[in-house]
Amino acid sequence: MFKKNSPLQSKSEIILRNIVVTFMIVFFSVFLIIPIFIAFAGSFHEWNPLSGTYNFLGFENYKNVLSSELFLKSLWNTFIFATIAIVFRIILGLGIAYAIYCPLIKWKSFFRVIFYMPVVTPIVAVAFVWKFMYNPQIGVINDIFGLDINWLLNPDTALIAVVIMTIWKDFGYAVVMFMAGLYSLPADALEAAVVDGASPWQKFYYITLPLLKPMTLFVVITSIISYIQAYVQILIMTEGGPGTQTYLTSYIIYEEAFVKYNFGYASAIAFIVFVITAGLTLISFRVSSTQK
Amino acid sequence: MNKKISGMILNLILVFLGIITVYPFVWMFLSSFKPNKEILAFNQTLFPQTFLIDNYIRMNKSFQFMDLFFNSIFITVVTTFIVVYTSTICGFVLSKYKFKGRNLLFGFVLSTMMIPWSVTIIPKYTMIQAFGWMDSYKALIIPAMFSGFGIFMMKQQIESIPDEILEATRIDGANEFYIFHKIILPLSKNGISSIAIFQFLWTWEDFLWPYLVINSQDKQLLAVGLKMFNGQYSTDYGALFAATTISIIPVILIYIIFQKQFIAGIAASAVKG
Repeated sequence: MFKKNSPLQSKSEIILRNIVVTFMIVFFSVFLIIPIFIAFAGSFHEWNPLSGTYNFLGFENYKNVLSSELFLKSLWNTFIFATIAIVFRIILGLGIAYAIYCPLIKWKSFFRVIFYMPVVTPIVAVAFVWKFMYNPQIGVINDIFGLDINWLLNPDTALIAVVIMTIWKDFGYAVVMFMAGLYSLPADALEAAVVDGASPWQKFYYITLPLLKPMTLFVVITSIISYIQAYVQILIMTEGGPGTQTYLTSYIIYEEAFVKYNFGYASAIAFIVFVITAGLTLISFRVSSTQK
Repeated sequence: MNKKISGMILNLILVFLGIITVYPFVWMFLSSFKPNKEILAFNQTLFPQTFLIDNYIRMNKSFQFMDLFFNSIFITVVTTFIVVYTSTICGFVLSKYKFKGRNLLFGFVLSTMMIPWSVTIIPKYTMIQAFGWMDSYKALIIPAMFSGFGIFMMKQQIESIPDEILEATRIDGANEFYIFHKIILPLSKNGISSIAIFQFLWTWEDFLWPYLVINSQDKQLLAVGLKMFNGQYSTDYGALFAATTISIIPVILIYIIFQKQFIAGIAASAVKG
């Protein structure tokens, strides 16, 4: 594995490489590979650390998960949550990035810094800020819009309220990503379009947008991965309620594992989430490569 | 003339969106100086009518909130330093050395980023118990020492450093440890600052892991403390605003200080990746 293949390779290079590669392999084995196997095995067991049970169940956990109404509801909620959040993330991200990119805008870096700010703030704290803002007694949202809605306790608005907070927190990431994409576009293609008499709108639709496809795909995939795993905003703002209106799949895993200590059942859901994530990521890659 | 007007409209739209973006922070910050009576009042104003720092004093007195704050600073700084160092050295080895299995190893590192937290957290929790690391900072620091994301970012960054620079110093007789510390580290500033900020934020905001492995309140971190504080003093809004402000403002300050290198680093990695 560590054979010498260049005459320029020195002894110190081999030592450094061996140390680093060994540490990496040991670390990722202990804290990633082995845990994955333990979780996989655990998902076939009745596994509760409080009562000390670890009994083989076969596919029982998976059967129970897939027939659980709460789980199916949470998949639907996660789908709604992720779809709305991703659509807004892309639209706002692309729109704002293109506006800042446009030569008419001064203070480009100022806007970029502002829009990115929510992305770098801790989600536990930010979820509390929004929880207070939605509060009908002390919050500002009803004040500003002259409404009288108990956002987080009303079954019709709770999930949307959490989605709005999530969009606010995350759209800046897409702004920075699309700006990076815009500034790395080939200048000659854009100039050629202008010479050929394309209107700004045509230039955007026929040249810029297709060229930004790889970046859009990157944002979509990273968003899918992160939204399927989202649970903190639920834990802080609604705890799944009212009723089961805001149960997201990853929040059920948190609750089953660390409130009810059903480790086996929670692991089964975690693996289902894992498979869904991997599947969606593959599909996104497929879609993009067939369209090229 | 037409262009001027559309430019103005565009600027106004961006300013409006910018206000929406910062408004929650401003509201939280200003509310943290209001007396509870004013927070609960029917007619609310953005700026405090009476300006108090009582909320901060009360928040700390009843809960030793500042102790948690310094615990979080300690853990965050230590973890961030370790992750920056390991990411840079792994990125260096993976980008500048040629050896069998290198691409396989890098592909593996990439795939670690796709694994949901929910798959590994239960076994990690049982392992920490088995190792006897519960309620100790080992449990927070050691499982966080390497970051797949950090290694990926640094590999991208260091690849852009020309090989000629390294060869020149090698011919001068420098060993690899010298090259790494004196050449690679200083030349990867952008990547390092973006990883540092991300790692700082992730450690600072991580809720579940410290909640699971740390039991004593005096060792607990801020994100968990904020949740516990909310549970115990759920009606003392002034103190809650003060506690939330303390959890957010340091991160924003760090972000504002380093934003230039940070945005350059994160954008560069995405365009190349």
